[in-house]
Formats: sequence, C-alpha cells, structure tokens
Amino acid sequence: MVSLLESQNPDGGWPYQRGGPSWTEPTAYALLALVAQGSAAEPVEKGLRWLHDAQLPDGGWPPQPAVRQSTWVTAIAALLGPAALGGDAYRRGIVWIVEQTGEETKFLSRVRQFLTGNPQGDPGWPWLPGTSAWVTPTALSMLALRKAARGAGSPPILARLEMGAAYLLAHACSDGGWNHGAARALDYDARSYPETTGVALLALSGKESPRIRKACAWAQAQLRRCRASEAESWLRLGLLAHGQLPPNTPSPGRPPRTIQNAALALLASTAVAGRNAFLE
Amino acid sequence: MAGLNRREFLTGSAAGLALAGCSRGRARRPPAQRERLVSIVRQPDYSQDLYGELRRVLAEHRLNVRGKRVLLKPNLVEFEPDSPINTHPLLVHAALEAFRELGAEVSIGEGPGHRRNTLDMAEAAGYFATIPRFEESFTDLNLDQVTEVRLARPHSRLQSIYLSQRAVSCDLLVSMPKMKTHHWVGATLSMKNLFGTVSGGVYGWPKNILHCAGIPGCIADLYHALPRHFAIVDGIVGMEGNGPIQGTPKRSGVVVAGRDLAAVDVSCCEIMSIDPRRIEYLKLAVGDVEALARSIRQIGERVESVRTRFALLPEWSGIRLS
Repeated sequence: MVSLLESQNPDGGWPYQRGGPSWTEPTAYALLALVAQGSAAEPVEKGLRWLHDAQLPDGGWPPQPAVRQSTWVTAIAALLGPAALGGDAYRRGIVWIVEQTGEETKFLSRVRQFLTGNPQGDPGWPWLPGTSAWVTPTALSMLALRKAARGAGSPPILARLEMGAAYLLAHACSDGGWNHGAARALDYDARSYPETTGVALLALSGKESPRIRKACAWAQAQLRRCRASEAESWLRLGLLAHGQLPPNTPSPGRPPRTIQNAALALLASTAVAGRNAFLE
Repeated sequence: MAGLNRREFLTGSAAGLALAGCSRGRARRPPAQRERLVSIVRQPDYSQDLYGELRRVLAEHRLNVRGKRVLLKPNLVEFEPDSPINTHPLLVHAALEAFRELGAEVSIGEGPGHRRNTLDMAEAAGYFATIPRFEESFTDLNLDQVTEVRLARPHSRLQSIYLSQRAVSCDLLVSMPKMKTHHWVGATLSMKNLFGTVSGGVYGWPKNILHCAGIPGCIADLYHALPRHFAIVDGIVGMEGNGPIQGTPKRSGVVVAGRDLAAVDVSCCEIMSIDPRRIEYLKLAVGDVEALARSIRQIGERVESVRTRFALLPEWSGIRLS
C-alpha cells in the first residue's frame, strides 16, 4: 500500500509505471485498493478529483486524458460506486456501460450472420465502441453492473447481466478457461489464459454450471504454476468468488510490475481477508 | 465471438475494408530505380556468432546512428520459452550490442497483442537472463505515453491511430520479428510486427480496432506512419502451419535484415516459399510488389540457397510460391 501511495502522480492520478503519465485504469484500481484498505483520505480525494475531471461528456471515461474516447476503463471507474464518484457521474457512467455492445451484435452484422447461417449469441462488451466484444471488458462491465444492480436493479441492467453471463459461457475455451475471447481460430482450438479465466470467473460469481466447475479446476491448476502477478491476482479473486480457492494457497509470489498489478494484488489479498471490493 | 463466427466476421470485414481502403489510399510505388539492400545471413543456431554477424550486417547497411535513439522492437507473444513464438533474446541482445557499438542510445520495447503481462512474458522468454539490466532498457509500448498519429492516405478505415510515443519519437525503429506464418494475413514479418507499437492501453487486448479496420490496411498504414525503420528478422527457427501462436517450429537458419521493411518482408516470403505478390498488406503498402522485388539486391546468401518451404494452413494454400 505504501508503494501505491508513493506512486501517485502530483495531478492525483496513477501511472502504469512509476513516473509515467496518469491513466484511468491504474488510477481506478489504486483507488479501489486504497478504499478497500480504508486508506488515507487525502490521496483518495486527489485521485477521485482526477477521475472526476477525466470523465467525458458521454458519461464514459477515456483511457487517459489525451485520448478523447470513452472505453472499457469506464467499468473500472464505475466499480468505485456512487459514494466515491458522486451520484450523477456514477449514473452517467453506468448508462454508458449499459449502452455498449460488441459490433458483431449490431444490426448489419446480425443480418450478415443470418445470411451466412452463423448467428451470434448474446452481446458482450467491447474494449471500445465500434469493435467486437471480448472477455475482459465483458467481465469488468458485468462487475460494474452487478454493483449497480444491488443499488437499483433496473430491468435493462439485469438483462445485460444475463446476456453478459451467456456471452462468457459461450466463449470458454475447450481446455476449460477463457482467453481473450477467441476460443477457436480458423477451426483450431485456442488455449486459455489464467488472467482472463480469473476475471471471467469473478464476473460469473453466483452462477453454477458444469462449465464453471471445469473453469475452476483449470484455474486451480494454473494458480500453482502462475508466472505473472496479474494472473495470480485474478485467479485468486475468481476462485474465491466460487469458494474454490484452496485453503492452503500460498501468498502471491510474483512481483507486480505495474501499478495496476500492485493494486490488483492488494485487492486480491483484501478479498482473501474477507473484503472483496469487486463484489461488495 | 466464437472462432468460426469471429473468423467469418473478421474475414468479411477485412475483405470489405481492404477494398474500401484501396479506394481511399493509393498504394505508393517504390521509385523504380532505387536499389534496396537486403542482407540474408545463414545462421544455423542461436550462438555467440550472432554478435559478429549483426555487427557485420549493420556495417553493410552503413547505418549512421551515432547519438541517435534506436528502439529495438522484438515480437513477444506468449509465455512459452521452448516454442518459437517470441523473437529469441540472444538475437535482440546481439542487436543491442551492435547498435551500441555504433554509438546509438538503444532501448527495447514491445506491446503484445493478447497478453498484458509484457515484462513477465519477457522474463519467461529468457530476456532477463540474456540481456543485462533488461528492465532498465525496456518499455512496455502498450502502457507508454501515446501520440495520436494522423494517417495521411490511409489504406484502412482508420483516420488516425494512437501509437506509443517512444516508437513514434525514436530516430530508428528496428522491427525484430520472428519469421512465422499467420492465420489472418499469411505471413507475419517485420511490417506486421509494427502492431506492437499500437497502444494496448487505448485499444485493449487484442487491439481489435486493427481487425475491424482491416488488418492488411492497418499494416500498410503503420509501415508508412513509422518511416524511420530497419528490420532484423529472426528466421533461425521460425514457425510454420497455424502461426503465429499454435504453429510448429521451422528451422530455416537465417537472419534477414534491411532498411526497408517491405523489401525485407518480400525476401522473407520468398525464403518461406510464399509468393509476396499474394500478400495483401504488401500490395497495399507498395503497390507493385513485383517491381519492389526486382529492386532488391541481396547481400550474403541468395534466397534460393536458403529457401525453406513453410507449411501453410489449407486456407492459405493460394499464397504458395509456384
């Protein structure tokens, strides 16, 4: 946590690498981690001010202020909730998330799919508007909407959550986990990644299916031979969400090499200790 | 999107957008008489000989890089040190040493397309063990500060693109790909390797905007957007079949290098027994690929003496060099 506090930029945001420019993703994860830890008020307030200033008129957040385009990072910012972001900013962020779908589920794509006999399933979320849906932005958007649904579960939000879950289940790899979202390429099975498997499992918290059980088994095996801090954190969070984190799992062993990975490691540890910032 | 559906979606998009791209951007023909030097070095394995060979190659191309910022851009894709997915770290270290000896200020950068854990992948690929103080010289191009680059005459649907500032601002970008077949574009070489300069922090993992805007057109756009370049291709052990990730190792025992990425890629295709005239991104980038091929003067080995038939997926049988 000290490392997180020390790496905050003077403008209030956090960089990916210490000394770099502030980006929305590490800023939102750092704030989530600090809030979950009940950390000092001043850095959190400065960080929230940075986030507030970064929000775009369409309600979404850009990856960094130099980019004038709302993207998936909106979901991470929205995880902070209305108390931290302010009611109006939060509401506009949630509306932006609900409105996003992968390009493949737009009307013209649907027509082509109909004509070629390849109907697409439920819509997930893209990394940025105008592109296809993928696993990570879908999982993060679902996590943000789950929180929003607890406050005031509107039918559109609940419907999108169900669609998101269906999207994830339809995009699992044959080996059991998830990769970025292409379970097959040119008719060949593709392999799963630990980090995307972890975040997908976390987003599917509360769901039960043979596919999820298979994913948990794959994730447990990966956790034992993890080679990246980010993957370790997401696997712990994902398994924990399904009560499948083995009780004797050793503490994270890989050094976080970016600020957002340091924050994720802290969030995973806090969750193991009983406070899951993604699901509370 | 499931594999088959995604493929059809992307293939459909790519074809349409490539056509659309043709109507927007005109392929730039290389000057007819300009000679393009391409070095082909026979190098059977990853040994210490690489250090001397790369010094010799750079001397052949008379690169004046004293005091200049040189960015080496290898291809890091996956956590599999025993598979020929990633550019071999010894080749990167040999290039680092060779450019440093010429007085350049050398750094290394990469922005992988699928996996976010770039430094962890570099460690798994042997970069930390091979290159002293690797972390100090490395930049994750996905997380670097970005520069929006306007595309003057785009071949893709993009009008502008956010690239790593380090890649845009360096004096020489050295593309160091692995010689591999590629299930979307036929072959991935020094031009396709430029995808790693596109910001993952902005576009995500994968950088799907490049697929939606047309992969061949985007490759051509990046080739023109990053003109101060050089290529060193790791063809010592490449990948054939279902590349760029799930293919099988292919030992061709060559390093291919040159100042013009397109000329280097044409030579690599010919080495792989792939017809460069049938590679869409080469056509978009240079127009008359045959004229470009005629302008190439090879140094070292001749293509014919090192030609290695790379296995192609059935979908790509049409690009086989006849």
